[in-house]
Amino acid sequence: MSDLDTFTLLPLRIDPQSKAISSAAGSSSSSSSTRALEAELAALNALHRSLHGLEAPHTVPPPPVPVNPKRSANVTKLRESGNNEYRKGRYAEAIKFYTLGLQMALTRPMWEPSQLVREEVHQLYSNRAQAHMQLLNWAEGAVDAEASVEAKRQGNAKAWHRRAKCLVEMGRFEEAREWVGKGLEVEGQEKELMEMLKEIENRSASSSSAASGGGKA
Amino acid sequence: MFDIDWRGLVVPLAYLVVLGGTFVTFSTIYRKRKAVESANLAPWFGPHLQRNIYLSLLHLEPENGSEKTPKVPDSVLRAALLRRAVEDIRRIIQIRTAKAACSSLLQRGSVGDDLWQRFQRAEKEVEDELRDVVMEANALSPNWGQIIFQSANEIAANTALREQLDDITKQTEHEKEWWEKRRAAIKSEFLKELEDESEKPTQAKSVAGSEDSEPVLVDTNTPSATPGGKKKKGRK
Repeated sequence: MSDLDTFTLLPLRIDPQSKAISSAAGSSSSSSSTRALEAELAALNALHRSLHGLEAPHTVPPPPVPVNPKRSANVTKLRESGNNEYRKGRYAEAIKFYTLGLQMALTRPMWEPSQLVREEVHQLYSNRAQAHMQLLNWAEGAVDAEASVEAKRQGNAKAWHRRAKCLVEMGRFEEAREWVGKGLEVEGQEKELMEMLKEIENRSASSSSAASGGGKA
Repeated sequence: MFDIDWRGLVVPLAYLVVLGGTFVTFSTIYRKRKAVESANLAPWFGPHLQRNIYLSLLHLEPENGSEKTPKVPDSVLRAALLRRAVEDIRRIIQIRTAKAACSSLLQRGSVGDDLWQRFQRAEKEVEDELRDVVMEANALSPNWGQIIFQSANEIAANTALREQLDDITKQTEHEKEWWEKRRAAIKSEFLKELEDESEKPTQAKSVAGSEDSEPVLVDTNTPSATPGGKKKKGRK
């Protein structure tokens, strides 16, 4: 209640040229509160700069819903080029295109719909994971597939499957089994994932029998 | 006839005075304590840094040496207000998620009254804060108040998403290194098998394991058998 009428006056300073706000307290003292202030001011200045990028009639971020189609078109184009390269078998090129597309999608202004970002990003990550898998880069593939799942958990069985595949190829059967289990919980009885689970069982069984056989000798 | 026996009344009167006095003292002390307690209740949220920054910018003081108060451009104020709205969104989400849990805990008596009081106060504060932000937004730009929280909501969601993705993609280097090392180890262990048959190392191992009992292959299987055991240990 009392909080509404009062506030803590912070020692702020504005740079007359760049209009950047900084703390006047000096950065010599590094208590946690000043560090939080500095971080917040950095975020503020970044937001201020990105507000400058708004197109002419707007001085404030427009409502999120009608999205500026330019960036989406660019992202789609990059993904399509990536897919083309992938189909031609030039996986490294495809990865480059997907990476560019990801950069484009992730630098979308923060006030535009996050759902859209998730939608775009999950496809790009999933495709890049596939391209990495073609190049036998299992580690990168696993990370990309995980990122894809993070962006879109449901209806993304491909990405679940790809990470599981990568983990299996790296011989991390326990992790793969856990991962597929989680995937089955989210996706229901997805056929692809059920088969993956079987493959994991088979391969882990054969590898462990080999290891124990080797142990006896 | 109406001769009052004052002496006889002294005892009951004294009793009444003491009783009344006790009540008064008790209630004043109790109320005072209550007031102090509720004034000292810890706030639900910490200090609102973004709000402080915004208001500090509005009340920016002239720097040493110069008389003029520095003019803060509106664009900076808009950015600061937007940051403030984002923080409010975070708080309102926290309040909403905590509300159901908090009230059910209170009904069961698992938490004290003061927690509930703090909670309600925080709820009211956030509401007032939202109203304040809407008013400020309308003052800075016409009709911004209607959409500032939509934008703030997306900013909050986007920030969270970026953080999660960053956390995951940060592992790439580490994972790559691990896999390089791992692959190098496997390669050196199974160089012969890899040259003979271009199959996966695990399968090569299983072949070696199954042929274990055959005395003919004693020479070839000893080097492959020991790394097999090592590998299993390494994985665990």
